[in-house]
Amino acid sequence: MAENRTPILRLDKICKSFGGVVTAKDVTFCVYPGEIKGLIGPNGAGKTTMMNMISGIYTADSGDVYFNEKKITDKPDYARARMGIGRTFQTPRFLQRSSVRDNLMIGADLGNKIGYLSGFFGRKSTNFYQELKEMMDILHFSFNWDDDINSLPFGQRKLLEIVRSLLSHPKVILVDEPAAGLNNKEIEYLMDILRMAAKKMNIGVLVIEHSMDMIMDLCETIAVLNFGELIADGTPAEISNNTAVIEAYLGREDDD
Amino acid sequence: MRDNLNTTRRTIIKFGVLLVAVVAFYFLVSTLCTSLYTMMVVDIALIYSLIAYSVSVLLGMGGELSFAGVSFMGGGAFLLANLTTGRLGPTLSPVVSFLLIIPVFIVIAFIIGLILLRLKGTFFTFATIGLVQMTFAIYNNYKPLFGGADGIAGIPTTEIFGTKLMNYNDWFPVLLILAVVVGLIVERIRTTPMGRSLAACRDNETAARVLGVNVYMTKVLAFTIAGVLSAMAGGLYAMLTKFVSADMFTYASSTKYIIMAMLGGVQSTVGAFLGAFIVQVLPQILSAFEGFLQLFWGIAIVLLMVFMPEGLAGIVKSLGRKFRAKNKKKVAAAAAAATEEGVK
Repeated sequence: MAENRTPILRLDKICKSFGGVVTAKDVTFCVYPGEIKGLIGPNGAGKTTMMNMISGIYTADSGDVYFNEKKITDKPDYARARMGIGRTFQTPRFLQRSSVRDNLMIGADLGNKIGYLSGFFGRKSTNFYQELKEMMDILHFSFNWDDDINSLPFGQRKLLEIVRSLLSHPKVILVDEPAAGLNNKEIEYLMDILRMAAKKMNIGVLVIEHSMDMIMDLCETIAVLNFGELIADGTPAEISNNTAVIEAYLGREDDD
Repeated sequence: MRDNLNTTRRTIIKFGVLLVAVVAFYFLVSTLCTSLYTMMVVDIALIYSLIAYSVSVLLGMGGELSFAGVSFMGGGAFLLANLTTGRLGPTLSPVVSFLLIIPVFIVIAFIIGLILLRLKGTFFTFATIGLVQMTFAIYNNYKPLFGGADGIAGIPTTEIFGTKLMNYNDWFPVLLILAVVVGLIVERIRTTPMGRSLAACRDNETAARVLGVNVYMTKVLAFTIAGVLSAMAGGLYAMLTKFVSADMFTYASSTKYIIMAMLGGVQSTVGAFLGAFIVQVLPQILSAFEGFLQLFWGIAIVLLMVFMPEGLAGIVKSLGRKFRAKNKKKVAAAAAAATEEGVK
């Protein structure tokens, strides 16, 4: 079904190595709008590097990244973010010594596409509070606007980083290990908000995660990397029956 | 998360407090400072507050330490001195010259920012120190434009809306209004996309990039704003004292401006203002201990950085937070008591 639509994100034969270490070798896959795609693989398989190449933090040695079928390989990271590539990190990255408000506003700034000058003269963000309220209803927690961001527990900060990214109205969002450090309830809410992002906001979601239960439950398709090579790309059912994957990854998981 | 209405109300309250504070400050200074000399000290402190703001923009928001403030201050001062004394040809009035400083230094600071900010962190800071040494050498030695070691004297008396600002008393309200207006602009920058983007660059460049912030250009912009503020301060200094010479724009004096901002709190506009005042006014009050002043600043800075990296403004902020937390506990306790009552 997915093949008839235009992918929002397409990687074409991406290669990358650091010195002698190959972290990506001819990696090709797509993410479609409204799809949740998992990106899995053993430690050091090159998952985060792949995300960094999509968001432009690293440049690929060869191969191209297409956003909405437009080549963005040469675009700098901030330009890609402005086009609609959202991103969260393994450990949340926020403004320090700043309030929750400032930290979320910076996501909305990106979404509103306000320049510094018009922002200075006070064009208000349209429905920031409404959108935020809907997301916080899904996440089942609330906070004080003026609280320091670091006064929130780690799990809530991780969820808020996703919220910040969604407030910027991305077309595609790259989520790096969102469940690490979250309790079971929070993981449930995390899955809810990612589903909401895909289904309601029609965002393509690419998620790296080590928790197999979550990946199998959440994702429509899964891409598997091993030592920088794409060894499988398919539905959860296909992936869990793929011998190469079991050998490289799930098999090892079973051992311990 | 009820907020929308609260923010407007809070803004009104903030403006009210500010107005009261400014008026109170005005009358306090007017009554306390009876001599022209004390008035001069206050006027200069107000001018220094502009440079302290510039440090607050670049270091507090953007996380880049620049010593180049004095270079721009000197540039602004000498440009005004040249324009008003007719050394460049036409003789302009001080106000017109002052207004000219702004576009000229937007261009100059922008270009220098483009070059220097290709360097990162400490390297950038060292480059700005180099810039200060270069500009001092030029200001001190190139006679045609900067008067050499003699400086430039004879800047005419400033006239605004037909009123001549004859002495330090006349200057005080003008400078106070300027310092408050520029402070408001800086505070506004802090709470709008520009300030947030800068803060993002300061705290985590990678995060800033994936949030669509062009880190390099944002910092160049901050450097430009800081440069223009410093140049304006220089112009005002020239207008006030009617004399400019290179020895005011040395590396040593540039550290003073950074101390001002650090002491007051680089994260806070009010802090920068207060810092400028403390560093400028305190030596006058404690003139008996003049020999120990450097020692005092040194100890104060070390203690502040260890215990309160956000300066005096940080102390106020953390006290406020403690107070609010206590209040919240009280309210929560009262609410709990009320529900208990209700249950009974």
